Amino acid sequence: MNYNSELMRKLSDCFSPSGRENNIRELIINEIKGYADEINVDALGNLIVRKKGNGKKILFSAHMDQIGLIITHVDEKGFLRFSNVGGISAKEILGLRMIFDNGLEGVVCSEEIKDKEKITMNKLFLDVASTSKDFVKNNFKTGDMCVFKSEYYETDDCVICRAADDRIGCYILIEALKNHPSTDNDVYYVFSVQEEVGCRGAKTAAYQINPDLAIAVDVTDTGDTDNGTKMDVKLGEGAAIKIMDKYIITHPEIKNLLTDLAIEKNIKYQYEVLEHGGTDAGPIHLSREGVPSGAISIPTRNIHTSGEIFSKSDVLECIKLVIEVIKK
Amino acid sequence: MLKEFLTDICQTQFVSGFEHINGDKLIKYFEPYTDTYEKDKVGSYIFKAGGTNNAKIMLSAHIDEIGLMITKVLDDGFLSFTQVGGINPASLIAQDVIIYGRENVFGVIGIKPPHVTLAEDRDKTVPLDELYIDTGYPKEILEKLVTVGDVATVKRELVSLQDDVVAAKALDDRACVAVMLETAKELKKISHKSNIYYTCSAQEETGYRGAITASYKINPDIAIALDVTFGKAPEMGSEVPQLGKGPAVCLGGRFNPKLTKKFIDTCNNYNYPFQYEVAPAATGTDTEGIQINREGVPCILLSIPLRYMHTSVETISLKDVEITGRAIARFINELDNSDLEEILCF
Amino acid sequence: MFLKELTELSGVSGNEYEVRNYIKNKLKEIGCEFYVDKLGNVIAHNKGKKNKKIMVAAHMDEVGLIVSHIDSDGFIKFQAVGGIDQRVLNSKVVTIGENKINGVIGSKAVHLMKGEEREKSIPIDKLYIDIGTDSKSETEKLVNIGDYVTFKSDYVEFGEDLIKAKALDDRAGCSALLELLSMKLDADFYGVFTVMEEVGCRGAQTAAYSLDPDFSIVLEGTVSADMPEIKDHSKVTSIGKGAAISLMDSSTLYDINEVRKVERIAVENNIPYQLRKSSAGGNDAGPIHKTKDGSKVVAISVPCRYIHSSVNVASINDYNSVVQLAKLVILDNQKGE
Repeated sequence: MNYNSELMRKLSDCFSPSGRENNIRELIINEIKGYADEINVDALGNLIVRKKGNGKKILFSAHMDQIGLIITHVDEKGFLRFSNVGGISAKEILGLRMIFDNGLEGVVCSEEIKDKEKITMNKLFLDVASTSKDFVKNNFKTGDMCVFKSEYYETDDCVICRAADDRIGCYILIEALKNHPSTDNDVYYVFSVQEEVGCRGAKTAAYQINPDLAIAVDVTDTGDTDNGTKMDVKLGEGAAIKIMDKYIITHPEIKNLLTDLAIEKNIKYQYEVLEHGGTDAGPIHLSREGVPSGAISIPTRNIHTSGEIFSKSDVLECIKLVIEVIKK
Repeated sequence: MLKEFLTDICQTQFVSGFEHINGDKLIKYFEPYTDTYEKDKVGSYIFKAGGTNNAKIMLSAHIDEIGLMITKVLDDGFLSFTQVGGINPASLIAQDVIIYGRENVFGVIGIKPPHVTLAEDRDKTVPLDELYIDTGYPKEILEKLVTVGDVATVKRELVSLQDDVVAAKALDDRACVAVMLETAKELKKISHKSNIYYTCSAQEETGYRGAITASYKINPDIAIALDVTFGKAPEMGSEVPQLGKGPAVCLGGRFNPKLTKKFIDTCNNYNYPFQYEVAPAATGTDTEGIQINREGVPCILLSIPLRYMHTSVETISLKDVEITGRAIARFINELDNSDLEEILCF
Repeated sequence: MFLKELTELSGVSGNEYEVRNYIKNKLKEIGCEFYVDKLGNVIAHNKGKKNKKIMVAAHMDEVGLIVSHIDSDGFIKFQAVGGIDQRVLNSKVVTIGENKINGVIGSKAVHLMKGEEREKSIPIDKLYIDIGTDSKSETEKLVNIGDYVTFKSDYVEFGEDLIKAKALDDRAGCSALLELLSMKLDADFYGVFTVMEEVGCRGAQTAAYSLDPDFSIVLEGTVSADMPEIKDHSKVTSIGKGAAISLMDSSTLYDINEVRKVERIAVENNIPYQLRKSSAGGNDAGPIHKTKDGSKVVAISVPCRYIHSSVNVASINDYNSVVQLAKLVILDNQKGE
């Protein structure tokens, strides 16, 4: 299997912050129709794609949404005030270009602040590059969302793009679905909504599906950069099998299942202990009576910025591991 | 008997998420007093003592304990680690630990000596990511014994202090698992009508996760949650529950007022000492999950006073455990002989 | 090797009787002449070939705590005996006094601390020992002001060749000295087990005065900062790299010719050694080399991580190197002309 640059570029370029996942949902539906037995969209907007079987119900989840900003106020001078949607820190976005669904752009500017450490969201505003109040009024409304403007870029082995969190997870599930192996298992590919604001979509999807086991596919941090996070995950060292994050301690059977499959099928893997953050597996494993759950993570540097970096070979290892779980 | 149980169970590893490894030990202790058991999907162990009516009473005490998780195998036998649940790094310095790897590996956590420590640093706590476990193995050997994701705890045997006071790690919340065992023994002697579910809940320390799914599964009519609370020690107010004076009955919106009153009346009628504790909102106990399970579950919360919470020298009075265990058995007996629906009716 | 027995004894500075009694019994078993001086030092004499008067010293005492007050609820306040970093005291099991009353060191639960408080380590005067009583009178029945308090910490062998125990500083030296005395070397030397090193090398001073040695060897457990993220030049000594030979510390400039001689002996006999790379710290060599007309002195030490805490860590190989090297240095000094 080769890495499909065009598909990932499309997924990354697609505008869909949390709660506004319609674009990405359409894109994925177009991509996978013909491969699915059933395609449903639930009340919150989760895309639930099923490959029927009589065996175990397996839920895979990758979230479609991305972090962004929401316009809270359009002021009389034509500047836009905003709040964050998902984990964006005020200290890290000054000067960044943001883009709206309609293609218009703005740049993050700050009030005059001497101590940059003291920057908070309410000192920042978006300058949309127009002195015409009418232009601003006609094109921007309170409640509009924007996301990082960032162009997809790749080298032989790695990719820089926005929203790799978690479009790369979506990519992996799409590829797994297209290569769905023959199996008795009843497999649900969930492209979930609103993960970035608290894994909300996964919660309702899990309740509805009530699976026997669940695996989230999402990005994780790495510890391979200079003076970076102290963790053992490295880019290019294979699929990361999650052991723990803030929302879940991986069920022992899932940890063993993934590890055994990786060893048996010669899939490159590493263990992940993430001290901050969580994934869809959090709410899923606490659904109803509980669901044995875990996660396959794509090692990714610079998460929640406009330039997230992952390795193509890691992605291919993750796909292999997902397919092996389906077969099992 | 009680002390032997606590000595054994406190020394045993039940770090959040890793409760299954030593689950057999729980089964051994609870089986003689219960009819069936189930291990749920998040790791809780639910022991059922069947009754003669349809009422379902859930008792919940968490079996898990805070612990350490290995994040990296370093050179020269050192390991870096993070916490599972909330650990005070200050309590880890200069402790023996056991890493539950391929085999149990002994290690110690030390800090830098004075000549490489700035004077002002002595006044600060050492953050978790600046502490290491020292195992004494070369990296090549250590990597075969320990993997990222393995857990560790402080190595500590239960220590007997004066009177009925004992100190150990993980008395939060094994003290209350012991309470359940006491209750189970008492109830075994009398025929109880309700179905009792003794729940050794998993992953309380990482967000009462076990209680959420266990209560969904049991779907109880009422629940008695058991946890520890801060016991009186220096620098604490006079309102704080004291060791040896019985359980602290928690009052606040999380708890059903009539059920709580029924428990208090039982204690008063049968001369079981108890104390009060007030929690206007969140309690950080299993009740957080149980109360809002399905259509809702009326709860009460009883707490064993404990000093030095979340350290390896958690200190309790065994007297409190005995009193609480018996008081609950009597309370259940009282409930069996009253109209539960009427009690729960607002 | 007597490390397990020795480290499990209590011997906080000024209260060394358990260690002293153990050593006295051992010396009787070995059949070595000894006496106890007025401060409580044990002075043993190994008779043999003699060119000069040699004193070999190791201190019996360890750092610990002393009971200073019993509060109205029966909790025990204490002070440190010797240099103890306040950060190593949190959540320790201790034993108090001759009756070995169990206690735990408690402090405010972290949950109850406000943000800033959490960043700070708890000073000794805010810590206390809990023995499970609930009144002053009950505690007073069991514990007296002035009782000495020792850490409870088992001797454990772990890793490839490491040991963990309390008081390796300086029971490692005591054990080595007992071994040297039991070898019955044909070389004359006085083995001195000193008191109160940790509170100012008091015992060594009087022992040196009464013996007036020409040459002295101090056997110590010394600091090792051999830990992650510490640069090599700051490690002082490294565990597993052999016996540590001192060049200088805050109380002594070791005679460089003697130091080179010890190095030479180590090299010639393939004994692993390292030079102690720091001028901080001090030991019995300080008073010994300055008493009366002075004495040449060398210090040979076992590197210990986490010294002055309840979990000292040392290498058995290093310990054996110290014993071997000290033996050869004694023999070399008393060999016939």
